[in-house]
Amino acid sequence: MKSSRASLFSILQPVFSLRRPAFCSAAAAPPKPQTPLHLRPPAFRATLSDLNRWHAWAKTQASSVGSTFSALDGGPDSSLLLRELNWLVEDAFEHPALLSTESNASAEVAIKARLEEMYELWRQRIEERRPFQYVVGCEYWRDLILSVEEGVLIPRPETETIVDLVDRAVKADSELREGLWADLGTGSGALAIAVARVLGGGGRVLAVDLSPVAAAVARYNVERYCLEGRVSVRLGSWFDPLKDVEGELSGVVSNPPYIPNRDIHSLQAEVSRHEPILALDGGADGMDDLIHLCNGAASMLKPRGFFAFETNGEMQSKLVVDYLQNEMKGSFCRLEIVSDFAGIQRFVTGYKA
Amino acid sequence: MFPSLWCYFNIKTQYSCIFLFLLKHHTRLLHILLAKTENLFKRITMSKRAAFCKSKLYEFHSHFFNRPIIVYRPPQHRRIHLLTAKTLFRRLYSARAALSQSQPQLSNDLINIMEQKLSAIENRHAQLEAILNQPDASPEEYSTANKELKKLRHTIDVVSELRKKQQEIGGIKSLIDEAEEDKDMREMAADELGQASQEEERLRYMLLKSLLPKDDVDERDCILEVRAGTGGEEASLFVMDIFKMYEKYSQNKGWRFEVLGVAESDVKGYKEASAAISGADVYGKLKFESGIHRVQRVPMTEKSGRVHTSAVSVVILPQADQVDVQIRNEDLKIDTYRSGGSGGQSVNTTDSAVRITHMPTGLVVAIQDERSQHQARNLICTLFDNKAKALKVLCAKLYELERTRLDANRSKLRTEQIGSGDRSERIRTYNFPQGRVTDHRVGITSHAIDDIMEGEDLDTFVDALILQQEMDAIASFTST
Repeated sequence: MKSSRASLFSILQPVFSLRRPAFCSAAAAPPKPQTPLHLRPPAFRATLSDLNRWHAWAKTQASSVGSTFSALDGGPDSSLLLRELNWLVEDAFEHPALLSTESNASAEVAIKARLEEMYELWRQRIEERRPFQYVVGCEYWRDLILSVEEGVLIPRPETETIVDLVDRAVKADSELREGLWADLGTGSGALAIAVARVLGGGGRVLAVDLSPVAAAVARYNVERYCLEGRVSVRLGSWFDPLKDVEGELSGVVSNPPYIPNRDIHSLQAEVSRHEPILALDGGADGMDDLIHLCNGAASMLKPRGFFAFETNGEMQSKLVVDYLQNEMKGSFCRLEIVSDFAGIQRFVTGYKA
Repeated sequence: MFPSLWCYFNIKTQYSCIFLFLLKHHTRLLHILLAKTENLFKRITMSKRAAFCKSKLYEFHSHFFNRPIIVYRPPQHRRIHLLTAKTLFRRLYSARAALSQSQPQLSNDLINIMEQKLSAIENRHAQLEAILNQPDASPEEYSTANKELKKLRHTIDVVSELRKKQQEIGGIKSLIDEAEEDKDMREMAADELGQASQEEERLRYMLLKSLLPKDDVDERDCILEVRAGTGGEEASLFVMDIFKMYEKYSQNKGWRFEVLGVAESDVKGYKEASAAISGADVYGKLKFESGIHRVQRVPMTEKSGRVHTSAVSVVILPQADQVDVQIRNEDLKIDTYRSGGSGGQSVNTTDSAVRITHMPTGLVVAIQDERSQHQARNLICTLFDNKAKALKVLCAKLYELERTRLDANRSKLRTEQIGSGDRSERIRTYNFPQGRVTDHRVGITSHAIDDIMEGEDLDTFVDALILQQEMDAIASFTST
């Protein structure tokens, strides 16, 4: 069974090859990741009265949404948007508390984006349904604050559980802690970074992503957590860039694209309009990449190596387990389906036999 | 006429410096001697018989006197093998103290009620023994009977001792009747009778105490909370003083005093402070400290030398054992507000609200505004982490809640207890200018305020309060 990811890649290949010279010259300067809003210097100034006006406008915008988005496609409602607005203020202002004070309205305060940009950011959030995480350029995930931008999947809270599963696995078998791990389709690098922190000083993680933007953002996040020595980001499709470590991996984790093709366009606008389809589309039944991962894991993992994959939940988890049990009989053992915090059977874990 | 036989001994242990006095009534010995020499006695006159006994006893006495001997334990203690010299000393000391001062005269009514209860217990005991001896008793019957027997054993031991003593008294009485013409013998027997009656009284008192409802949390560790009340900064200074007083008192008692949290005030006093105290019988000793403590003194901050009155509140909560309140993951229900739809990649929301419910208690903790769900969950789980100090307090509070609920249905003992658990009540005054501390519940004043603040003399109050509780319990025992 040939994966559609692979076929998509082969279609895109000429495009990449054509642009290769550009990439080669850009090897010294890969796509430059954006700095999250809260990390930017407070280089701009605005008067308090202007900012208060902006804030009042933004609040009205958020309130006017009501529950239209949530009724439409399960998007955010006003209360959620108002909370996001508070966080935007937190990220953009040098001293967020000033906004609520009665102090001199004509006083100037330091902010991290131009006033016009502040208007633009909130307009994008409300009108274009641009995900809040792209607006502020970061996502709070587990105990990490990860930089994200268009072209990189925003890590989901469900995926946090994979880190706990890895933690459990390395506690049960300390040999795994010293080994080489891989995070396939790393995106922002969330799993790779969190897994590296679970492994501690002993282990190493290879983070792989097909998208140059994702790879650049992942590298940036790795640097921000000072893990350059323990996490290396490799550009390429799934196991392709890992040929040199075949059969040596102690663990493989992945949150691959798993949404069935036909469902993509009915998703929440934040997801369908703004997040990279490359990271979402799992083919006709959403299983293409999962199957590819299962096949690859069999040859890449060393005996007793651990894997944990995220799925679309329920049926898909069962299909993955069926595939591992029947089509790949004898390759894996101790297969398990683990539920996420909402009770949806979300993860498949197991060990190489 | 006959001296009580005091066994004076010196235990060759690490406590060798402690001299122990053991009061042992001689009646049993006398009886043994009498029995063994019965034939001989029949042939000699009464006065000779008395003289013989006397000389035998003196012999016995000198045999024991000034000799290191094996610890002799009264029969009811025989099964406790691990008595340390220290506890033995304490026990004897308190038994003696009870005899000499605090043992109340039991009224006839009380004795009658007790007799009824005792015969009920004896009957029950006999029934249980019968069940155990039945070959066809089911295993359940057997084990429940066994459990109940174990609970009764201590009481039954004392009861049988009391019965022996009563027989003995009967014997002596008939001896007195017999020996009408022998003055010497009568005197001897009367003296004997006095001692036996006293012993009987002591046994009755012991029994009474064991029949009274017990507060089974007395042995627990406790949580101490002290808060400043009226009086502003001066009150906060006194919170610090009283907190340190309990710390020193705990040290003197050999208890562990673990500070849980201190909120300092502007003048370096404590707005409030809490500690976990653990050791033997901590809660039983400290429970009466709960209430309002009033202080009268010239504050350090006062320039004109005026005496201020301020107050602090002290709360003592029994600490829950791990078994009482144990938070297990299975008991936690975690709700997140993104369970709609298929979740995962399909949904992108910043809603990371988490709500955790502790199912057995219905306690709910929710966090809305944390930006990462993981962080929100962690924050909540810290609250539920049974290793966290915060939880210790939470546990104690849950436990107290549970106890109050149970207690509502229980005897009046607790409500009649001193302080009645009402924390608004003013219980004690510390008057520094006059150098006195007065406990308003027992009406005792100590003039050693410095010793008390050093945690030395607090026992004056603690003991009196415990005694008062016993008295009250006896009173309620008679009335029920």
